[in-house]
Amino acid sequence: MSTEVIVPNDLWEEDDEAVITSWLVDDGTSVSEGDMIAELMVAKIQYELLAPASGTLSILKEIDDVVAKGDCVAKIG
Amino acid sequence: MTPSQEQEIWMYQHMVISRFFEESIEKIYMEGKTPAFNMAKGPIPGEMHLSNGQEPCAVGVCAHLNHEDIVVSTHRPHHIAIAKGVDLMKMTAEIFGKKTGLSGGRGGHMHIFDANVNFSCSGIIGESVGVAAGAALSRKMQGKPGVAIAYLGEGAANQGAFHEALNLASVWKLPVVFVIEDNAWGISVSKQASTAVKHNSDRAVAYAMPGVHIPNNDPIQIFEKAGEAIERARRGEGPTLIEIETSRLAGHFMGDAEAYRPAGEKEHLTETDPIPAFKKRLQERYQWTEEQDEALRAQARETVDAAIQFARDSEYPAPEEALEKVFV
Amino acid sequence: MTQVKAKNRKLTIARAMAESIAMEMREDEKVFLMGEDIGELGGVFGNTRGLYTEFGAERVKDTPISETAFIGAAVGAASDGMKPVVELMFVDFFGVCFDAIYNMMAKNTYFAGGEINVPMVLMTSTGGGYSDGGQHSQCLHATFAHLPGMKVVAPSNAYDAKGLMTAAIRDPNPVIFMFHKALQGMGWLGTEKEAIVDVPEEAYEVPLGKAAITREGADVTIVGITSGVHHGLKAARELEAQGVSAEVVDLRSLVPLDRETVIESVKKTGRLIVVDEDYHSYGMTAEIIASVSEVGVPMKAAPQRVAYPDIPIPFTPVMEQWALPSADKIVKAFAKMKETEK
Repeated sequence: MSTEVIVPNDLWEEDDEAVITSWLVDDGTSVSEGDMIAELMVAKIQYELLAPASGTLSILKEIDDVVAKGDCVAKIG
Repeated sequence: MTPSQEQEIWMYQHMVISRFFEESIEKIYMEGKTPAFNMAKGPIPGEMHLSNGQEPCAVGVCAHLNHEDIVVSTHRPHHIAIAKGVDLMKMTAEIFGKKTGLSGGRGGHMHIFDANVNFSCSGIIGESVGVAAGAALSRKMQGKPGVAIAYLGEGAANQGAFHEALNLASVWKLPVVFVIEDNAWGISVSKQASTAVKHNSDRAVAYAMPGVHIPNNDPIQIFEKAGEAIERARRGEGPTLIEIETSRLAGHFMGDAEAYRPAGEKEHLTETDPIPAFKKRLQERYQWTEEQDEALRAQARETVDAAIQFARDSEYPAPEEALEKVFV
Repeated sequence: MTQVKAKNRKLTIARAMAESIAMEMREDEKVFLMGEDIGELGGVFGNTRGLYTEFGAERVKDTPISETAFIGAAVGAASDGMKPVVELMFVDFFGVCFDAIYNMMAKNTYFAGGEINVPMVLMTSTGGGYSDGGQHSQCLHATFAHLPGMKVVAPSNAYDAKGLMTAAIRDPNPVIFMFHKALQGMGWLGTEKEAIVDVPEEAYEVPLGKAAITREGADVTIVGITSGVHHGLKAARELEAQGVSAEVVDLRSLVPLDRETVIESVKKTGRLIVVDEDYHSYGMTAEIIASVSEVGVPMKAAPQRVAYPDIPIPFTPVMEQWALPSADKIVKAFAKMKETEK
């Protein structure tokens, strides 16, 4: 049973897209709920993406990929 | 020293050109930088420091200058360059990094140099003051006319170079005027948090020169006070320090989220935009009509658009040209 | 059942620097910060993120634009028992405050016969490649490394960044900590994936003065620092496709300089390419080559330098990108070396 890691609607104010500037955990490693797992940049500001659940991370979107609010960037299983 | 109608219209016109220019540059700067803001991308890469709101500081002073006078500016130079008469096409081409730019693309937005009108910049805070003092020294030594104007921000008034240059200019009675554009913010640090005195103009007494404080970004007041200072310098009576409380409508640099600005500050600033205020003044004093305004704006728009088109159409230099012009 | 990798945590260099400073500040109340926009803003390059919130204005001090004053003040404070970490926002700004750095910070211990320590860290941003022009894009490695009395370190990745910063803060000597803007992980200056690496949560030191073999090889030694290391690694991968095995040495420190590691590597490979984003003449590349040749290491071909030309850094991208060192230039340098081989 896996949890999707969705870019939260309230992570930043505007409706602009973001770009992933870092993954702070390797693909295939275990994460705990609340861990900071990635940084997303909107204009020049970076926002922290936290793990919504504990488990093994499968990264779906890479660094430099453009993502929008509501996009699924990874799964935690 | 009140401005004539002609001078007022000249000032208004250059404020409008300046603003149209900055607004156009702002849009173009963002090309290629969304959604991912990578500073290196787009037709105008690198940093960008816009002068929206600070136009009065440029026109009020430059209205008294001719091509022989010297202006040394900062990393936020566009409005001053425009008022000084820098070749707008070549300046725009320089900002775009084209071969037809003022320095063939070597300088970019922070390093606008136009020898024809004695205009230069420094990207290093505070370094404009010494250079301007030196230009003034040169004219004095050669017995040639001309005053030098050093532009700096209020943050630069805390830099050692400022104090040394003011002292030197005073001791040697140099024909230089120091103009502080106080926009209250040095990136994220407020003037109050960083400056020991309330008004930098009060520091003038330490250097035995007049200190003039202009509290409200009013182009007419700036014209009057700058005029007095420039005349003083031309008469050989030495330097003056002018401090203008202006408003920085944009962020420090493009991409600046300005989270450090207190709530409501930006909205208040937009209400005090100097351009609509000047239009109102022209209407009241000279019965400035909507037709006249439309015509002035249309011409300004044309001037800016032509400069941008020139820049876009121009070619980039050959890469190896980077090795040229290091020495002459 | 798939093998799950143990929990790991990566950081960007910016976060690693901030984490190291935070941990040292928790341990030692003498450690404090001074610099421009390093307070609430968290530093223009993200390296003091969170520190103001945790430690407050007393220990995280935003300064006026007065480098000579606050860097001079850091020297005075450090000489009196404090441990300042100060930021010179861009290394290019050293011109306005260099006396406090090279004549006082670097020499006071010597003038005092070792009786006075100056335990301060001066962190400063370096590097270009994103069109910031001649006064905001320099590296100036040699300028600082050349002058006696100050240690100089520069990480290429987050693991080294945290370890070097911790070692620097704990070192009783003055240390210049140079961080390359494009490697910070700030996104708006581009992204360099390989700088974002696993960083242990506990405190640890990376010793000052010790280079690292980032990639082992047999046919050529590529020596670099900060961005040069990443160009070297990319070049090594290209060379591998050509059947050439390249060893990449990350100096990590310029002062002290780990000449032994470089010498041992060139003894093994017999070929040397040095890459540096700083200016070509009178610099790091010359120092490495001189260090190897003066001890008589036999080389199969003349050593090569890939460095920035001796010009002010131009703004326009066609010129700037052409001038910068790159993996491609390293690969070409190797080809050139092979042509001249006996």
